[in-house]
Amino acid sequence: MSRRVVITGLGFCTPVGRSTDDAWGNLLAGRSGISRITLFDTSQLPVQIGGEVKGFDPNALARQFPEANREPDRKVWLGLEAASQAITDAGVADAVPGNALLHVGVSLEVFFIEQVAPVALAENMASALAQRLLKGGMSGRIQTPLDRLTQVVGDHYGVQGGRYTNCSACAAGAQAIGEAFRRVRDGITDLAIAGAADSALNPLGLGGFSLLHILSTENDQPTRACRPFDATRQGTVLSEGAVFVVMESLERAQERGARVYAEVLGYGCSLDAYRVTDPEPTGRGAALSMTKAIRDAGLGPADIDCVNVHGTGTPKNDVAETLAIKQVLGKRAYEIPITANKSMTGHMIATSGAFEAAASALTLHDGKVPPTINLEHPDPLCDLDYVPEGWRPFTGRTVLSNSFGFGGQNATLILGRAP
Amino acid sequence: MADRVVITGIGMVTPLGKDPTEVLRRVQAGESAAAPPTRFDASPFACPVCAEVKDFRPQDYLAEPKMIRLMNRDAQFAVAAAHLALQDARLKVGADYPPEEIALFGATGLAGLPLSEVSSLIKNSATSDGRFDVQRFGSHGLRSISPLLSFKVLGNMPVCFVSIVENIQGPNCIYTPWEGQGAQAIESGVRAIQGGETRCAVVGGCDVKTHELAFISLQQQGLFRSWMETGKGVVPGEGAVFLLLEEEASAAARGARAYARLGDCVFGTRRGGSNVGTAVAGLIGNLLARRVSPHPGPPHKPGWCPGAEYPLTPSLSPSGGEGVRRTGEGVVQGLEPRTLSENSLPKGEGRGEGEGDRRISLRAVVSAGDDALSSHHEEAQAVATAGIAVESTFCPKRHTGYLFAAAAALQVGLGALLAERLGGLVLAHCSGHGGDPAVFLLEKS
Repeated sequence: MSRRVVITGLGFCTPVGRSTDDAWGNLLAGRSGISRITLFDTSQLPVQIGGEVKGFDPNALARQFPEANREPDRKVWLGLEAASQAITDAGVADAVPGNALLHVGVSLEVFFIEQVAPVALAENMASALAQRLLKGGMSGRIQTPLDRLTQVVGDHYGVQGGRYTNCSACAAGAQAIGEAFRRVRDGITDLAIAGAADSALNPLGLGGFSLLHILSTENDQPTRACRPFDATRQGTVLSEGAVFVVMESLERAQERGARVYAEVLGYGCSLDAYRVTDPEPTGRGAALSMTKAIRDAGLGPADIDCVNVHGTGTPKNDVAETLAIKQVLGKRAYEIPITANKSMTGHMIATSGAFEAAASALTLHDGKVPPTINLEHPDPLCDLDYVPEGWRPFTGRTVLSNSFGFGGQNATLILGRAP
Repeated sequence: MADRVVITGIGMVTPLGKDPTEVLRRVQAGESAAAPPTRFDASPFACPVCAEVKDFRPQDYLAEPKMIRLMNRDAQFAVAAAHLALQDARLKVGADYPPEEIALFGATGLAGLPLSEVSSLIKNSATSDGRFDVQRFGSHGLRSISPLLSFKVLGNMPVCFVSIVENIQGPNCIYTPWEGQGAQAIESGVRAIQGGETRCAVVGGCDVKTHELAFISLQQQGLFRSWMETGKGVVPGEGAVFLLLEEEASAAARGARAYARLGDCVFGTRRGGSNVGTAVAGLIGNLLARRVSPHPGPPHKPGWCPGAEYPLTPSLSPSGGEGVRRTGEGVVQGLEPRTLSENSLPKGEGRGEGEGDRRISLRAVVSAGDDALSSHHEEAQAVATAGIAVESTFCPKRHTGYLFAAAAALQVGLGALLAERLGGLVLAHCSGHGGDPAVFLLEKS
C-alpha cells in the first residue's frame, strides 16, 4: 500500500514564536529570536547568547498535562506545547485514531548537576550520593529519560500505534518526520504526530557545546551572531524549542475536510561515515541523503524548486552543504532560492529539522520563502541564491529540507504543494 | 519488494562473553554474570551486583587510540559488536553491498558517563556548602573537563562510531533509551529491507548500566524496588549486540549462512509507565494469530497491531472481560483460540513433532522477563492459556544481566541461534522496563 501523505497540523514553541502565526510572521519579517540568555547566569561562560523561547511558563501547561508531574526537563514542556498545538491545529485533539503513531526526536539528556553538588566534597562521591538517595535527600532525578516526552504525549492523547523516540542529534526532527511519513505512506498507521523537542540552554548544555568551538561568541550582537553563508560567520547559536506536525493520508484528510499545508513527497537519510567531530568536507553524505529523498519522491533534480538548508553558520557546514546541493541539483542549484532559517532561530539541535520542515510546508502553503538574514558579505565558496534581501514570493511546487547531525547523520525531506 | 528477511550475522559483547554460541551455552547452563561491581562500590545501593563485560580491549577493534578516547564504553562495545556481526556474516562492506546501501539502525541507553568522568566538574562547580554555583561552573568547572566530553554524552554517538569504523553510509535511525526501542531498531531494519529501501541492515543496541550514576538513575526510576522488597531483582548489565539482517535472496546469492528467518514481529503500546507483562501476553497471541490466520496470504510485514483487530477473549484477559482491554498497563491485544486450531494452520508450519492435539508448538521462547519483571510469568501464562506448546524457555536477563537498549538484540540474536539449532518456531520477547513491548517470531531459514 502506498498512500499520499499530507501535513494537516503544525505546532511551534520556538525562539521566533509560540504559535504558527507568530513563528511564520517573524521568519518572513526577518526577526531574530536570539538574545542574551536569561534562563541562568552566563556571566562566566564564553557564550552568553542563545535562542530562548520567551515568556514560556511550564506551570501554565501543568494542569493540561498532569502526566508530566513536575517534570524538571524543560524540553518536555516545550514539546508538550508544540505537540498539543499541532494536534489541535489538525482538529484531532479529541479524535486521535486508535492506530496513530508518535515519533519524537531529541538529542541530549539533561544531567541535573544540582542534585549531585551536595556531595561534591565527599571523599567517596558515589557512596555519598547513594546514601543521600536512600535517605530521601535528593529532591529530584539526576536525569530524565529521553523518552519522557514521548510517553507523556502518548499517554495524554492515547497514541497506540507506536511510540518512537530517536536521538539522532541535529537530524532527529527530520528523521522523526521522515520515519513517521513512511509508516503513513505504507498504510501502517492512519495518522502520525511527529516532531522534536530540545533545550540544551542550561549550564552544562551551553558549556558543553561552547567547548566544541562551534558556537559564535559574539555576545554583544546576538541578533547578528548567526550568519549562515556569510564570509564573516563565526559559528552557530544554540537555541531551544519544539516543533510538531500532524501527518495523515490525503484520503483521510479529504474525508474529514482538513486543511492541508503541504504534501510530504519523499524522505532520505544517510551517514557520513567520516568523523564525529566534522561534516564530511566534500558534502558526500549530505548529497547522498538528498539524492535518496529525491528518488523516494519520484522526482528529479530539476523538480526541486527551493531548498531549506541545514545552514548552521559554522564555517565547515555551510561550505559542505553548498557543495552537496550543487552536486545533486547541478545547474538547478543556481536557479532556486536557498533559505537558512537558523539565521533567525539559531540551532535548536534536534528540533531544527522539524522546524525547517514545518517552515517548508508554510512556504508551499503561503507562497513565500523566508529570508536568510545577516548575510552581508557573501562567501565565495557559498555562491548560491540564499535570499538575503527579505522574503520572496514563491510559486514553486516543491521544497527540499536538509538536516545534518553531529556524528554524521543526514536526513532530507521533500515537501510538495498541497494537492 | 522483498518479503523475507534473514539474520546472517550475530555480534555480541556481553557479560557472558563475545561468542554467541558460548553465550547461549552459558545461558543454557544457568551461569550468571552477576557479581559485585569492580569499578565502584555498590554496597550503599539496594542492588549490590551488576553484570560487567570482562576482558574487553577496545584496541582489538579500533586501530586509532584517538578515536578510543572519544568514545564512551557503550560506543566501544557497539563498535566491537557490530564488527563481530559483520565478521560473523562474512560480509565485506563495499564488496558485497555498496556502503551507501547498508542500513544502520541502533538503540542506545541513558547517557552513560561514570562519575569519574564528571567528578572534577562537580567538585569545581560546587560551593563549600554543597550548592551548584553557575559562576563557579563557568570559571572553574567547565575548564576541568575534556572539550570532547559532549561526544560521550550524545546518544547517537555509539552508532555513529559504528558507521565510521565500518564505513556504513545508508539509511539509519537511532532510538533511545530502553529495550523496547532496541526492538524498534530491529523492526526498522526489517522494514527497510521489506520496503525495498535496502537489502542489508545492521541493527542492534548498546548500553552500560554498570556505573554509579546509572545505579542512581535506575534506583530513582524504581528498578531496584524489588531488591528492597525481596532481596532480588534486576541485575544491571552492560554490553552491545548487533545483528546483520539481509534480504533472503541476496543473502543466498552471496552464499551467506542464515541463522533464521524473521518470520514476523508485532509491537504493542505500553501506557502509564507500568509493567508491560500483560501487553506482552496479548502480543504473543496476536503474533501467533497472524501467523496462523485462516487466510495467510503473503507474509506479514512487521508492524503495530491495531487494538481492535484481535479482540481479547475472556481466557486471555486477566480481568475476565471481553474486547480489547485498555488499562494503565497498556493496550492488550489477544486472539481467539480458534485461530490456533489445526484447521487454520498453514500446512506443515508451527506444529510440534508428533503433536496429536493439533496445536501450535514453539521450539523455544526467549523470554523478556526475569525475576523482577513480571512479564515472564504473564507470557508463560498467555502461551499456556492459548494452548501453545513450548518446549523450552530461556530468560537471558537472569544470566547476562539486563542490557536495556541492547537487550532486544540479545534476545532476538539468541532466538536466531535457537531457531537454527532446533528448527521450528522460536519466539523472542522484547519488553522489559520502559518502551513498548515487542515480539519476534523466528524460524529456521
